[in-house]
Amino acid sequence: MKQEQIKTLIDALAASDLAELEYSEDGSTLRLVKQSALAAAPAARRPTAARKAPAAVSAEPALPAAAAAECLAPLYGVVHLQPAPDEPPFVQPGQAVEAGQMLCVIEAMKMFNEVRADAAATVQAVLVHSGQEVDAGQPLFRFG
Amino acid sequence: MFDTVLIANRGEIALRILRACRGLGLQTVVAHSEADREASYVAQADQALCIGPSAPGQSYLNQSAILFAAEVSGAQAIHPGYGFLSENAGFAARVEQAGLVFIGPSAACIRTMGDKVSAKRAMRKAGVPCVPGPDEALPQDPAAVQAIAREIGYPVIVKAAGGGGGRGMRVVHDAAALLDAMALTREEARQAFGNPEVYIEKFLLHPRHVEIQVLADSHGNAVWLGSRDCSLQRRHQKVIEEAPAPGIDEALMAEVGERCAAACRQIGYCGVGTFEFLYEKGAFYFIEMNTRLQVEHPVTEMTAGIDIVQQQLRMARGERLSLVQHELRCQGHAIECRINAENPETFAPSPGRITGWQVPGGFGVRVDSHANAGYRVPPYYDSMIAKLIVHGSTRADALDRMRLALAEMRIDGIATNVPLHRELLRDEGFAAGGVDIHHLERWLQQRSAA
Repeated sequence: MKQEQIKTLIDALAASDLAELEYSEDGSTLRLVKQSALAAAPAARRPTAARKAPAAVSAEPALPAAAAAECLAPLYGVVHLQPAPDEPPFVQPGQAVEAGQMLCVIEAMKMFNEVRADAAATVQAVLVHSGQEVDAGQPLFRFG
Repeated sequence: MFDTVLIANRGEIALRILRACRGLGLQTVVAHSEADREASYVAQADQALCIGPSAPGQSYLNQSAILFAAEVSGAQAIHPGYGFLSENAGFAARVEQAGLVFIGPSAACIRTMGDKVSAKRAMRKAGVPCVPGPDEALPQDPAAVQAIAREIGYPVIVKAAGGGGGRGMRVVHDAAALLDAMALTREEARQAFGNPEVYIEKFLLHPRHVEIQVLADSHGNAVWLGSRDCSLQRRHQKVIEEAPAPGIDEALMAEVGERCAAACRQIGYCGVGTFEFLYEKGAFYFIEMNTRLQVEHPVTEMTAGIDIVQQQLRMARGERLSLVQHELRCQGHAIECRINAENPETFAPSPGRITGWQVPGGFGVRVDSHANAGYRVPPYYDSMIAKLIVHGSTRADALDRMRLALAEMRIDGIATNVPLHRELLRDEGFAAGGVDIHHLERWLQQRSAA
């Protein structure tokens, strides 16, 4: 295969929406794969410590912003009020929270689901304790 | 020889083992967590012992509690199932030291196969084909590492010796990225597996996942029971499995199968096990061995006509292998769908109360599950709640039967991936057979883009 020919094939692949191209001639085979296609291969995942795993599902806002009196559990699972056992809690009673601020994590089937504040508010009471099983729809926090 | 088996696992596999024990006239003890107290299989066991709180670390992974449960119940053998302590060499050794039978291979075999580098070395020695690349950990010298990668040819994959099941690896496309990738993987491996050793292999672009089921006794005999294709995976988790692997030359398969059986004899393997391979362009490349019973063992049971769990128990009891290789046949085709309690679109877990439970049945249909109407799927464990298995005279027959079975299946109260399976069974690529391990991820990407 000549160098110009290879160059032509590279340009052809780049201009197309193909992920890869294989070309054979006189017993030699050239295989071209786009970087973007390789990046899409799922093998390069990083092992992350379970407790630090990013949330697989962002919790939907439990209540509309106007009536944010309570934050409800978006799913059945085990609630964690702190990022790790020896670390301080995400929020405490009396604390002002911003919209989108992390309130707690609910663990279900090895996945960690973040629960975030729907709107700016002040935490009046934490209604559950860490490690407790909570039902979907169960109140977790009361806001003032 | 033991007559009472302690089942140190939960869910469908605890029930599967319980049934196999019953078939052999063995007594059963189920060791369960607080969360599984109400499960129906717990009530079916001859004895049930609560070994701790719901969190796996305090129950199903609590070695001392399990050993104590064996002692007080009078069980002389422990079946670890899959997951949890099933591939923990330290636990196998403790069971042996306690004078009990660990239903699985020796601690030494688990240890050798648990280290991916030593496993690769053992397999090369036994003549099992491996992925191109050295069967040694990478040296510290950067120049030496670059030379090894250059010789293999890019892309390469850096893997942790202590990894497995898709964890602890990173693909490298060119020399510039190699050293950083190696350092990162090493650090991750040190944290995740307590072993910073890494090695490199050729990265195959479009492989299929094909595996061989083996069975070995403690008298130096071993057979292979057939092949499985488990290429349909999402995030390294198998979703659909089938037996035999379609479209692979039978003579080649038999040669690889025989080498796996020979490897078992060579390393003194006892019990059931699986050799996992990548298969690309007519060639097999060993990736790892699972030294335990696998989730997908039923598809091989259906095609080989052998109760694999009963055979596993017989081997652990010291019986001689009664199966002869040339008499083993693969009859028809079997497919398994893993039914998970998860949203079929977002894959968000969906534990909770099952309010309606209608499972399919009829000729060639099998459902392995511990669940039922009223059962509350706990949030502490894996999301798999059932395995739907069908057998047909041909692959096309099995596909048709699976489509009907999925149409019949109804689970209410929680979300399940049954609708996803229905869609996948309509996918042309899967129906044609022989898709690669990235097929499902690509299919999901296209679905979310549509």
